[in-house]
Amino acid sequence: MNSIFVNSKDVFLDIVNANDYVQLDRVSTIYQSLKDSIKKPLKMILLYGKPGTGKSMFLSKLHKDLSSSQDVYLYQTPILDESEFYKTLAQDIFKVKYSGELNFTQFMKIVENKKKEEVPVVLLDEAQLYSEALMEKIRLLSDTRSVKFVITLHKTEKEDLIAKEHFQTRIWESIELENASSTELKIYIQKKLMKANCFDSANMFTPSAVNRIHKITNGNYRDSNKLLYTLFDLYTIYEQNHQLSKLKTSQISSKLIEMAAIHTGLINA
Amino acid sequence: MLNIIELEHRWLRYKIKSLIPLIVITISLFIIAIIIFSFSSSSNKDTLGHIDTPIITPSTQIKVELKKEPIIKVAQEKRDVIKEQITKVHPKQLHGNKEKSQKVKLSPSLDFMKKMQNAVHPYYQNNTADDSYETDTQQAIQMKSVPKVQTVKAKPVNISVKKIDNRIQIKRQNTQNDIYDIIKRFKKNNNPALSLFVAKKYYELGNYRQAYNYALMTNKINNEIESSWIIFSKSLVKLGKKEKATKTLKKYIAQSHSSSAQILLDEIQSGKFR
Repeated sequence: MNSIFVNSKDVFLDIVNANDYVQLDRVSTIYQSLKDSIKKPLKMILLYGKPGTGKSMFLSKLHKDLSSSQDVYLYQTPILDESEFYKTLAQDIFKVKYSGELNFTQFMKIVENKKKEEVPVVLLDEAQLYSEALMEKIRLLSDTRSVKFVITLHKTEKEDLIAKEHFQTRIWESIELENASSTELKIYIQKKLMKANCFDSANMFTPSAVNRIHKITNGNYRDSNKLLYTLFDLYTIYEQNHQLSKLKTSQISSKLIEMAAIHTGLINA
Repeated sequence: MLNIIELEHRWLRYKIKSLIPLIVITISLFIIAIIIFSFSSSSNKDTLGHIDTPIITPSTQIKVELKKEPIIKVAQEKRDVIKEQITKVHPKQLHGNKEKSQKVKLSPSLDFMKKMQNAVHPYYQNNTADDSYETDTQQAIQMKSVPKVQTVKAKPVNISVKKIDNRIQIKRQNTQNDIYDIIKRFKKNNNPALSLFVAKKYYELGNYRQAYNYALMTNKINNEIESSWIIFSKSLVKLGKKEKATKTLKKYIAQSHSSSAQILLDEIQSGKFR
């Protein structure tokens, strides 16, 4: 039987899984507004925020929730080749297999011929990786109202520019995701642990311990996951070395939080 | 697997590094606090000291103690420059109704002496043993003939305050120590005002040899002081060297046209001054 620390460690593995999605008040509101936006006759929806704010998880959760009721397609990894991009969409959305090169004109013909009653929703993650030319094509495609796009962007100056140039007039909804506050982070950690039945370790997170973590990670979910994974890894090693008596087990040790932060590079020591 | 030992070392280094500014700030604040505390306590002491300085005796009797010291006024060349101050301080002025009477010791400020020290060239450094010499303008006068000065004890003048029938009677008490004190100062700074004062003092006390000697010293330092010439001449007359005195005075009059010297010369020649 695994110790509580091993189980807790696995909770914070950095993987995007809709089943691990944690409902937080603010995030729930945003999620609901996103779901509502999809029902609207929007051409495009932009989801943006700093790396690690949960954009990918958002898309994953949206895909999971909508897939039962709507024609929705998620592309977590960007398809950078234009022909490949059109071919993938033609095959997934319109069930048209195309051998050889497929250009934009040919793809538009397919879209026109196979137009669906219910507009399919395409979820594109990491859209900042697409080329400008491809983004322009996506914009033209969305103008036909044959396909609805939900795209995620990292919030940087460059990506803001892309958003400005290509989507300003077309995006009807833009949603920003932000880092968690200290309270949200505590709920996030505890909910995640309790979901995995790690109640003891969930109880170890006192407000001061969470504040310390928040101070280090600035409430970034990805950084927090990384830190917490290493933290429980350290606990596991101390337990294996029978050195757990050195540490307080009633609450998360500040020393171990800092050690984990040093190891993950969040603290420069 | 994580290297716990290495990570603990790194953590320890980080901890020390992060604590350094805190420690430095704490130590500096502590030092500043100590400095401020010591400064404030010392200033408090000073303030208290000022209040406690006057000697106050809680009695109904009025006691006045005099401390006398001579003060030389260089510019005016007055004969006696002993300044005496008697101050009655009413206790109410300092301590309200607690004290009824008090006695205050006042001493004259001798700061001007210190100022003079820097202005005059040392005399005794070059002339330690030779107490008979010639002045620049009196080459004709043979100073070697002047006998060596013997220290003559002056009779002390006592000043005391007695309370008799509610009247304060003041008697002045002049001691030889005052002159010694001035001589000591003169030896330090070679101020002609001091030597002139000593000369005058010795003359008053009847010690004409010393008066002659100190007048001569004054003259050596500054030969333009009229009083030194007059005391010098007067002392010579008193020592029975009338001729030398008239000769000296004539030379001085020829040079300075001093009316005081002329009057003295006339008095010596007419026999009024003996």
